[in-house]
Amino acid sequence: MKMTRSWDRAFLHKGLGVRRILILAILSGGIWAFVQLDLNPADLVPTSGGVQVAWAFFSRALSPAIVYEAEFVPSDTPPLLWKALQAAGTTVVFASAAMSLALIWGLLLGFLASSSWWVGDPAGGAGNVTAFVRRSIAPVVYGSTRVLIAFMRSIHELIWAVLFLAAFGLSHLSAVIAIAIPFGGTLAKIFSEMIDEAPRDVAHAFRGSGASATHVYLFGLVPRALPDMTAYSFYRFECALRSSAILGFFGYPTLGFYIAASFENLHYGEVWTYLYTLLVLVILVDWWSGALRKRFVV
Amino acid sequence: MMWSVNEGNRKSQGRTSSSRGASFTLRKSSVVFGSTVALDSVDLHIGSGEAVGFVGLSGAGKTTLLCLLNGTVRPTGGTVQVDGRDLATLSFEELRKVRSGIGFVHQDLSLIPNLRVLHNVLAGRLGKLSFWGGMRAFLFPQRRYVHQIHEILERVGIPEKIYERTDRLSGGQRQRVAIARALFQEPVGLLADEPVSSVDPARARSAVSLLTEISREQGLTLCVSLHNLHLAREFFPRLVGLRAGRVVFDRATEQVTEDEFEALYDLNGV
Amino acid sequence: MSDRELKLRYLRSQRPRSRFAYWSALLLLVVMIGSWFVGDFQVEDFLSERRLQNLTRFLHELIPYPLQERDFNLGIALKWAGEILAEKGWSAMVVTLAISVAAIVLAGFGGAFFSLPAARNFTSPEPFLPSLRNPHWAWRFLWRALVWMTRLFLIFVRSIPEYMWAFLLLAVLGPTAWPAVLALALHNLGTLGKLGAEVVENTEPSPLSALRGLGASHLQIAFTGLFPLTFSRFLLFLFYRWETCVREATVLGMLGIVSLGYWIQDSRARNHYDEMFFLVLLGAALVLIGDLLSSLARETIRRFS
Repeated sequence: MKMTRSWDRAFLHKGLGVRRILILAILSGGIWAFVQLDLNPADLVPTSGGVQVAWAFFSRALSPAIVYEAEFVPSDTPPLLWKALQAAGTTVVFASAAMSLALIWGLLLGFLASSSWWVGDPAGGAGNVTAFVRRSIAPVVYGSTRVLIAFMRSIHELIWAVLFLAAFGLSHLSAVIAIAIPFGGTLAKIFSEMIDEAPRDVAHAFRGSGASATHVYLFGLVPRALPDMTAYSFYRFECALRSSAILGFFGYPTLGFYIAASFENLHYGEVWTYLYTLLVLVILVDWWSGALRKRFVV
Repeated sequence: MMWSVNEGNRKSQGRTSSSRGASFTLRKSSVVFGSTVALDSVDLHIGSGEAVGFVGLSGAGKTTLLCLLNGTVRPTGGTVQVDGRDLATLSFEELRKVRSGIGFVHQDLSLIPNLRVLHNVLAGRLGKLSFWGGMRAFLFPQRRYVHQIHEILERVGIPEKIYERTDRLSGGQRQRVAIARALFQEPVGLLADEPVSSVDPARARSAVSLLTEISREQGLTLCVSLHNLHLAREFFPRLVGLRAGRVVFDRATEQVTEDEFEALYDLNGV
Repeated sequence: MSDRELKLRYLRSQRPRSRFAYWSALLLLVVMIGSWFVGDFQVEDFLSERRLQNLTRFLHELIPYPLQERDFNLGIALKWAGEILAEKGWSAMVVTLAISVAAIVLAGFGGAFFSLPAARNFTSPEPFLPSLRNPHWAWRFLWRALVWMTRLFLIFVRSIPEYMWAFLLLAVLGPTAWPAVLALALHNLGTLGKLGAEVVENTEPSPLSALRGLGASHLQIAFTGLFPLTFSRFLLFLFYRWETCVREATVLGMLGIVSLGYWIQDSRARNHYDEMFFLVLLGAALVLIGDLLSSLARETIRRFS
């Protein structure tokens, strides 16, 4: 096949050896994991009790509850759908409060962690103190910022929540901060990478016209990375919604709380109602970010 | 208005005040990147208000020479003086000040594609503004800046594009934005690196003529690198021929012989 | 008003701008600021005397128990840490890692499989070629329906968080490692399937249309054309998702699967905060190692493909 030769060369020839090794590594890793966890496919067949639960649960997927399934409902309880909406609202409130904090931290730390801001001017002034400080202090600053970011990221939001729960007791603010810490770290990491990877031609041109390092960074590098940064923030918002829903399992009044409660009361129809509410939220944000990206990146 | 191009044009043809344009002096300047010698002991003086074309093959050192003139590349040997001041002796702030007075039109234009033309041009002024001044100008551009930019865009022929996104413009229009950005610096010297390479031949000619006209009107010193010899001969009274990092000729255009041109562009033995 | 001002005002009023982007930005700002007012966060209460006392006590409890009433001694600290590691820490780390690996392998196969029917250019009567004959509308509809069904499925499994999947599956499957593995696998299958479909749709189509032109079937195109063309990008995503799998695998233990999260929850319940904090740090170390391995692998893939 003559037509295939160019891509054949580009994609197959060089990568094959490494690729083979990677596939082997992944597969043997998988086998190791299955053996280690004692994962027996036979266990996938649910126990008889499990079958009942599974059937009772999944059969309600197409008929989520519209009214409460409990026999006795206190008279002052709002209707189920209204309650689902309220829970969705709380989920959004927690998520967006957390994201607003995370964005602030992300932008600040991302700024400190990106090396482009610190890159010295190759033709900088002679024997200049600021230039010297910038050159010697910079690695310390962005190095330690990166360590901080890694620490923030490496602990899952639920574990932060557990830590805060132990440290402060149940407080809505601690749930928000629990989400905001790892999310801020992730945003900072990705932001700094996006800024560092943005083309440098503009930065050089700005520097050539005498702009200061801060100006070069803010107006030469950041605007180029901004569309990507926005898109990524939206994606993280979607993740924040999920995390905020999960926090309900720890007693906060988000969707997870009601899902767990209804599931434990065997009100599977209600579970599906809440699940679908979450689904709609996530799809909405997904669609929104997609629509925005289409307008941003032409 | 701080300056008005059209009026200036009507008032005086040819050079205006000789004091406005920057002067450049290179003494035995060399630039070595790793093991490659980009410039080899160049001696050059460009007087205030002059218009000089740098000609030669690509890789001859034209871009490096231009970068020496605005202080973005440091000579590894010899000195570079702008208006009589040795750039190597300047402090960081002083160097910034010198740079802010020299406009540079880059070969790749170096514009931010996802910003409006207004902001791309505005960026030219950053070198003359404080941190907060720059923030303010970028976020809430002052009316006098907007007017001035509109005026400059009028001069380069695209006033109606001021609020357009830069990546929606054609190649020729983008180049004019880059020129406008350099002019908004209120420069005393204008450098342009191959302003011809990113546009088609017809536009190339008008770009070079625009640069020379504006420099003449405002009395700016103009240095343009070109590999198109016809354009160089048509528009520049003085030509500097570069080959493999050395100056092979430097004189008035009409005095350069055909043989010299041919030798400059001879691909053998490069 | 000067002539120029008028011109500029006109140009400004005519400037191209997206109302959608404008309103989106405004809405986002309102939601983000508004959430602080709506959300009963009680910042003062958070910094109240009682809570701060609680915090100081908590911070004191983080110090390893044998060291709490005496000066720091490295030997004792190491012995304490070693005991926790030997007793549960090490095996929990291994389990956590194994869960993440098993899950990502399953998710990788599943995601690769479902990315094909979710890609519009592949899932059509005539993949990568403009149709020569005009197929019957019902036929075209069926192919399109397959795409949308797949996408709906992928969005569904992706929207439900891992933790929730694990919670639901635990009730169905009982306490083996399967609920954790499947929960992670399902969620990541959704993500990888979506990303994979995007990769397929963005692949340079000419070699694939050439294959189709030679008469290759859907399956043949998938294996001889798409697989070599998209495999590297897909692997990049796989390793990237693996990082999050390690994070999540730690946490899923809180539901009762014996990964790190289980022991974190356990020591919290026993009020052994020093032990809990040590286990949290072990989890963080595991995540960092995972990040490192993943970025190394991704770097290798980028370099060699």
